[in-house]
Amino acid sequence: MNPKGSVLVVGAGIAGVQAALDLADGGYYVHLVERRPAIGGGMSQLDKTFPTNDCSACILSPKLVECGRHLNINLLTLSELVSIDGEPGDFRAVVRQHPRYVDTGKCIACGLCAEKCPKKVKNEFNMGLSERKAAYLLYPQAVPLKYAIDSKNCIWLNKPGRCGACAKACPAGAINFDDAPKDHLLEVGAVVLAPGFSPFDPSALDFTGYGRVPNVVTSMEFERLLSPSGPCLGHMERTSDHKEPKRIAWLQCVGSRDINKACHGYCSSVCCMYAIKQAVIAKEHATGGGLSAHIFFMDMRTHGKGFEGYYNRAQTDGVVFHRSRVHSVIPGKDDNLIIRYADEHGKAAEEEFDLVVLSVGLELNRNAISLMDKLGVGFDSDGFIVTAPFAPVSTNRPGVFVCGAASEPKDIPQSVVEASAAALEAERLLAEARWSKTKTKEFPPERDVRPEPPRIGVFVCHCGINISSVVDVKAVTEYAKGLPNVVFAQDNLFTCSQDTINQMSETIRRERLNRVVVASCSPRTHEPLFQETLREAGINKYLFEMANIRDQDSWVHRDAPKMATLKAKDLVRMAVAKVRGDEPLPYNSVPVTRAALVVGAGVAGMTAALSLADQGFKVHLVERKDRLWGHARKFYRTWQGDEVRPYLEDMSRAIESHSKIELHLNTTIEDASGSVGQFKTSLSDGSLIEHGVAILAIGGESFKPRQGKWNYLYGRNPNVHTLLELDKRFIEGDQDLKGLGQAVFIHCVGSRVPERPYCSRVCCTHAIDQALKLKELNPEMDIFMLYRDIRTYGKRERLYQEARGKGIVFVRYDLEHLPEVRDEGGRLLVRAHDPVLDRYINLHPDLLVLASAVVPRDDMGRLSKLYKCAVGAEGFLLEAHMKLRPVDFATEGVYLAGLCHYPKPIDETIAQAKAAAARAAIVLSKEAVPAEGVTAQVNPAKCTGCAVCTQVCPYSAINIDPATAKAVVNVGLCKGCGACVASCRSDAASLKNLGNEQIMAAIEAATEDVVIGPEGLV
Amino acid sequence: MPDEKRLDLGKLRTKLKKHIESAVPGINIDYCLTCGLCASGCPATDIEGLDPRKFLRLLVLGQDEEILKTNWIYACTMCQRCKYACPMGIDVGRIVYEIRGMRPKEQRPKNLQRSCDLQKESNSTGIPNEDFVWVVGDVLQEVRNNEPGWANLAAPIDKAGAMYYLNQNAKEPTVEPEEMVPLWKILGAAGIDWTYSSKWWDGANYCLFTGDAMDWEMTVRRQAEVVDGLGCKYYINTE
Amino acid sequence: MFYATLEGLRRFNIPHKFEFLSIISLYAQWIREGRLKVDPSWNNEGLKFTVQDPCKLVRQGLGDRVADDLRFTIKKVVGEENFIEPWPNRSNNYCCGGGGGALQSGFVKNRRDYGKIKFEQLKRTGADVVITPCHNCHGQIMDICDFYKGKWKTTHLWNWIVKALKR
Repeated sequence: MNPKGSVLVVGAGIAGVQAALDLADGGYYVHLVERRPAIGGGMSQLDKTFPTNDCSACILSPKLVECGRHLNINLLTLSELVSIDGEPGDFRAVVRQHPRYVDTGKCIACGLCAEKCPKKVKNEFNMGLSERKAAYLLYPQAVPLKYAIDSKNCIWLNKPGRCGACAKACPAGAINFDDAPKDHLLEVGAVVLAPGFSPFDPSALDFTGYGRVPNVVTSMEFERLLSPSGPCLGHMERTSDHKEPKRIAWLQCVGSRDINKACHGYCSSVCCMYAIKQAVIAKEHATGGGLSAHIFFMDMRTHGKGFEGYYNRAQTDGVVFHRSRVHSVIPGKDDNLIIRYADEHGKAAEEEFDLVVLSVGLELNRNAISLMDKLGVGFDSDGFIVTAPFAPVSTNRPGVFVCGAASEPKDIPQSVVEASAAALEAERLLAEARWSKTKTKEFPPERDVRPEPPRIGVFVCHCGINISSVVDVKAVTEYAKGLPNVVFAQDNLFTCSQDTINQMSETIRRERLNRVVVASCSPRTHEPLFQETLREAGINKYLFEMANIRDQDSWVHRDAPKMATLKAKDLVRMAVAKVRGDEPLPYNSVPVTRAALVVGAGVAGMTAALSLADQGFKVHLVERKDRLWGHARKFYRTWQGDEVRPYLEDMSRAIESHSKIELHLNTTIEDASGSVGQFKTSLSDGSLIEHGVAILAIGGESFKPRQGKWNYLYGRNPNVHTLLELDKRFIEGDQDLKGLGQAVFIHCVGSRVPERPYCSRVCCTHAIDQALKLKELNPEMDIFMLYRDIRTYGKRERLYQEARGKGIVFVRYDLEHLPEVRDEGGRLLVRAHDPVLDRYINLHPDLLVLASAVVPRDDMGRLSKLYKCAVGAEGFLLEAHMKLRPVDFATEGVYLAGLCHYPKPIDETIAQAKAAAARAAIVLSKEAVPAEGVTAQVNPAKCTGCAVCTQVCPYSAINIDPATAKAVVNVGLCKGCGACVASCRSDAASLKNLGNEQIMAAIEAATEDVVIGPEGLV
Repeated sequence: MPDEKRLDLGKLRTKLKKHIESAVPGINIDYCLTCGLCASGCPATDIEGLDPRKFLRLLVLGQDEEILKTNWIYACTMCQRCKYACPMGIDVGRIVYEIRGMRPKEQRPKNLQRSCDLQKESNSTGIPNEDFVWVVGDVLQEVRNNEPGWANLAAPIDKAGAMYYLNQNAKEPTVEPEEMVPLWKILGAAGIDWTYSSKWWDGANYCLFTGDAMDWEMTVRRQAEVVDGLGCKYYINTE
Repeated sequence: MFYATLEGLRRFNIPHKFEFLSIISLYAQWIREGRLKVDPSWNNEGLKFTVQDPCKLVRQGLGDRVADDLRFTIKKVVGEENFIEPWPNRSNNYCCGGGGGALQSGFVKNRRDYGKIKFEQLKRTGADVVITPCHNCHGQIMDICDFYKGKWKTTHLWNWIVKALKR
């Protein structure tokens, strides 16, 4: 079989987008299919994201833009997959693209069609809380930034001849009422499904009041109420009277953990955290402070990295938490809402609220169910796509992979991890077809502009009305024409639209421009696009400057348009002054050593090593112990019930026989240097390894409460075990366990305590599974679980239900009522407190199991320093971004997976290891990786060889040449951070195009020609 | 302040819970999440020191004596509103029914048991069937004579083959017979072919509330026999 | 009680040939069919009505369907604008506290404590009349109205139908 080098990705939410980017960057051509007219999925509708409180749209947008511009991503919006046949490596897919009725080649997104369209309909992006037109843009930052006409509501499309206002208004002639559906036949080697979720619809739960009484909204609706792009522009109003709510209640588990009316037994995993986030953000939003935020919950599930700290902070900041599920929401006076609840001891109380938010759960995307069914992928009883514990992103159809919330409710980081893991699986299947279908951008040879006098072109953008509604764009353009060396200036409605880009390229050639300024939105999203345009026009991309007259001008000075126009002129003048001195710079790159170093040979390390080696990359797998398997050696079975040993044995065989894997047992890392593409690591066995990437999978430790408050007689009474010690007895088939009369488990031993304020994520599920195993051995055994919150997130909730069903008794404790354990003549006595009855309970277990914490390895610091990786407050390795870069480090070319990142179960470890491998493969698949062009340079005439720069450089990119005793920069390693420039005492170091001349020119330009306007100088 | 009572669970015995589980398949007492939704919605919360959650908790922790003793089982009206919204669908009302039924008859609330016992004889207030027949006839006659436009009002009893059978709560013929009239008028105005029965005419059925399945079954069975005996197509319940 | 017979027939598998119906469904059906002609114009002073959805008939019996029939009938009889919805309602309504034999059991304080929530709920509607289509509800709601000093009148539905009857 000749596998195809292209992949179909279905669904363009954050998971689909990440999978598409990883695949396209890793050498595959991607068809990205999205049902809506724009990509971004559920994440684009969120206001802020936990636990970082990042603006969701702000962190998502760059990825969407990248996706939209990627040469190897074919974006198919308004499209759906119709069928797939064929086999892994060689599928034929039919994708139906529904008509947009707007020609994307012509649309300049000016918005006139929507303005003139007379038909108002509910805006689904705002969850129906506002209206849009039949001609519409899904949301302001939509990618592609193209309008669409919705055929269901368009007057013309339903009664031709009756309207057509949009067509009359469109200045680009982009409206096409004759647009028709198109079927695309695509040949792909693999399929990645990322259809995402639908929020649970609480309409059927009459007791919630949703849809029956005013001011009861879903959490998704509340996200829109908070969002600056939402129906009340971020001012937080309640729906009935547009008043700002002063008292808000969140009701948890609406449509989750409910096998009665909601028919969803599973936990939706994300609602506890998003409710806390919404409460915190709502408090910040409230004018004059004083918002009273109450969360009514059953178990608080803050089991992710940084979540417990967020929960603790929310409590300190005054968010009120009630451990009570609420029966009904009752309307009170003035459209307020009354909630009666019972505290943990059964005392009833009533509170009145202005707004009630239902923390609704997640379901598999309703629009995708029939499609998934047709594709032949299996569903579980919860309605999600089935995967296997040791193959967490594989469906039961070979060659078809799944990521994101479609297989289980999950948060964004976990979805991103799975997206990269799904990309990895596709890459592994199609390794031999890598780069076979991709396109490469060809640029014309660049004109040498150095002998030419500066000929500067200025392009000023209206950004629809984003800029021009505040700034007088025409005036700025006219002003630019008069600046020195400016030979051309022009204003555009959307400078980034395809036709304007083409036109810009022609203009550069025609006018023989050799410097370009674009005054528009933000370099964060658009600099690469304009720089590419320069290259297409045959000039060096570094001859470009951007004046940010939108994000830093029109958006922030909405109330002072005249001053904003003056500021825009200032910014343009500075950019022109700066660009005048810019020089063409080389396009640096670093050749890639196509080998990987994987540190740690537990499940994460083994998985990562195999994932890369199977694609033909050389892997050095380094393990400090004399054997493989790491912690997993001690595990009996996964929560899904699969024994771990056979899986580990398979992995061992694969690793030991793999020609591409070099295994270094009993070996530690001694030293490391270099950066992405070219690392050098010396090992304790004396060898020096050269590698292009490194994956840290160094594991964690199990907390042993040998002394102190969490001791519970551990190590002093032989019947007190940790979870892993009990697993050992299961693995050994210990028959004595059958004879036990009573077993007690204590949860959170050493977790969620002041000295270790995080949740260890795995222990609730692990302990409950062990309790079930004990029940299997002896159904008559009494089992008590002393817990604080049961955190069987996602589908794991099934285990909790099963455990209760089998008569295992759960007794909650809190830090004020810690269980007491005593040894009474060799017999254990456990005294616990039952909060429901508010009575003490005496237990006499034959076995006491401590669900103890997972802790970071104590030598984490040393390894992390070697590879310049950060360590977080909890002592685990810190990824580049908690939300969107969960397996990358800020240091390029180094990745992480497994327990060293945070406690996690085997299935999540495997997914993360695969994700790390996918990210690493992007580097390894290339001959060379691009390196920074704006690098440091040293003027040897001024350099004194003092070597201060070599010490401050975080990338080891600057060294003293022993021959000349002067500093020299390794441009491959230099990231252009400027640390050396700042530290150089003899003014010898500088950054290219950011030297004193350019910076001073811009500063001087800022202060010259200042006009004091009619509103005075502010 | 925590309750003084200590629970010694050196061996967990849940006899009562197991008994109910075998009597009511699918009751799933153990599924209780102790989430408090029932207690937050129940008007009987904190009456007799209990609420539905505590009640279930006592069962789960094997406190059978306390369960069998508490009069909370008569504060709970078996209304099933907790079950309606309970995430696990646990039917506390049904459990209460079972436990009410486990009480020896002499320890049940006297008047409740009496209503059931009377109904087992005939009807819940215990008026003789012939009195019921007489009262109906008497009131009917009065309306026919005195209320203009209602001279043809009917209140048939034991009319074989009538389309509709109508039950009668015993309260009206016993203490406020004139309250029967509006319904007769409505049925008359609508032109309905209906009938009462002269025996087992009371549809109230207090034997459900004593928790005694045999008594309850017996009264329902008698009613069914009467209705089928009259050959009515429909049995109209008035409440 | 509707549920006692309905559930009794079902649980004990009692053979029967008849179909078991609620008078409430029939009222609504007869009004819809025009068999029963009612006119709310008698209520020219705008007497306000609310209703008690009996647990045994609605939540445990025929569900929201019969609760809707109940509202349909009341609105036809007293005028649409004179009906005030209590909350919670229909299948999610609070039990009055007289059911389950509570009126007979003798725990008077418990019964009235239970009924407090019902009293508050009905009081919040501000209605002049509470329609109680069940004898237990009728007894209990009359008692709590009296005990907690409510101002409404507690009545059966049939009186009002007769009042609105057109022949």
